[in-house]
Amino acid sequence: MTVARITWLLLKKDLRIAARSREMLGFTLLFAVLCVIVFAFGFLQEGAATAGYVPGVLWVTLLFSSSVSLLRLFAPEEEGGTLDLVSSTAAGTLPLFISKATMQLLFTGLVTVVVLPLVLLFFNTELKGFGQTAAALGLGLVGMATVGTLCSALLVHVRLREVLLPLVLYPTVAPLLISGVKVTSIALAEGEGTGDWLTLMLIFDLLFVVASPWLHGRALQR
Amino acid sequence: MGRDPAPATVVKPAAATGAQAAAAVLVATGVAWAAGERFVLLDLELSVRAGELLLISGHNGAGKTSLLSILRGAIAPARGQVTLAGVPLEDVAADYLANHIATLQHRPGLYFDLTGLENLALLSSLVNQPLTVTEASALLDRVGLPREAHQRRVRHYSRGMQQRTGLARVMASGAAVWLLDEPSTGLDPAGRETLSRVLRDAAAAGTAVLAISHDPELLALADRHLELRDGRLHEAA
Repeated sequence: MTVARITWLLLKKDLRIAARSREMLGFTLLFAVLCVIVFAFGFLQEGAATAGYVPGVLWVTLLFSSSVSLLRLFAPEEEGGTLDLVSSTAAGTLPLFISKATMQLLFTGLVTVVVLPLVLLFFNTELKGFGQTAAALGLGLVGMATVGTLCSALLVHVRLREVLLPLVLYPTVAPLLISGVKVTSIALAEGEGTGDWLTLMLIFDLLFVVASPWLHGRALQR
Repeated sequence: MGRDPAPATVVKPAAATGAQAAAAVLVATGVAWAAGERFVLLDLELSVRAGELLLISGHNGAGKTSLLSILRGAIAPARGQVTLAGVPLEDVAADYLANHIATLQHRPGLYFDLTGLENLALLSSLVNQPLTVTEASALLDRVGLPREAHQRRVRHYSRGMQQRTGLARVMASGAAVWLLDEPSTGLDPAGRETLSRVLRDAAAAGTAVLAISHDPELLALADRHLELRDGRLHEAA
């Protein structure tokens, strides 16, 4: 079987499990909404949340909520003991990595769709520079999903993974986070000069997209 | 139970050729393994032949599960070597190994939020033995899973039903070697009878079956019974 065929089988399985259990998406969304609310109350000034915090709140909420879903990404395999079975396919470990990274991307994409309007609403801000913000979010989410999937896979058998995942993930995605906040700030202020930041994000994305599946394969080798 | 073509780089197991019915398929030579500072397995020698039902017993902590992990290539021994049809496990591709050695461990190797049928369909496809719904259903019938449970999520199965479905997964794999860790766990008397029948049929069809068990019914059925003691295998009394 080809990589595409096995990937599709595994992705279909993950989508089916997610649709049935609903726990991963439900908890991630709930966590993200709570984050926004807490941030909104935390940044109150003269009775209103300050608009200048929107980029930071948006990206930090996405990063925090992506950690929540990453901690459960390999839960179906762990629970039933199928990790060995799905990581030794004829196409190696690549289909498993792609299917899991795609699932993570779908989850964080859905969270973004909910969180972005919520942040704008709570911080009473109008969305300007939609194209630039969308590009930054797209690049940021792809990078976070790929490197996040790698971290999640590396820590799947580690006892303190709830603690270790943020410690490994956050510094690794810091360049994406900083660039994403910068692009969103500039876009909301209708400014110019997002090109360099977006290029930087693209470079990190390429690095993560190439290196993560390779490292994942090495880590899962017998 | 044999399967076809192996990658060009590795040798096809004897059980798959059907030419050497009594040939050793899986051989461990001088295997040693330590858990921390303590050596659990010491210069262990073992050969599992095609068409043989071999049972290993031993006290808790004797290293039975560790031995199984070494035999399936999940962990590397500190010393010694395991070969599959004469080829060292470390030289065998992961997918080839997965296609030729099927395991049933403490966890059944199933997705809990898929049904029994969905599990068999998915997992058999991954080892290049895709089953139709009818074939998968027939396998679940053979292991005695009630018809109404075929379309239920594994999460709602009892431990024994999960074990039966796990056994069906092993049967669906078409592997030449089965490594089973306490396969009768959670099974009722009827389930143990089914297990005995399945293992006997598999061995008769040329599959090399190695089971870790203390179940008297399986012990009575085995071609050989070894006891793991002091890090080595001994013929059981």
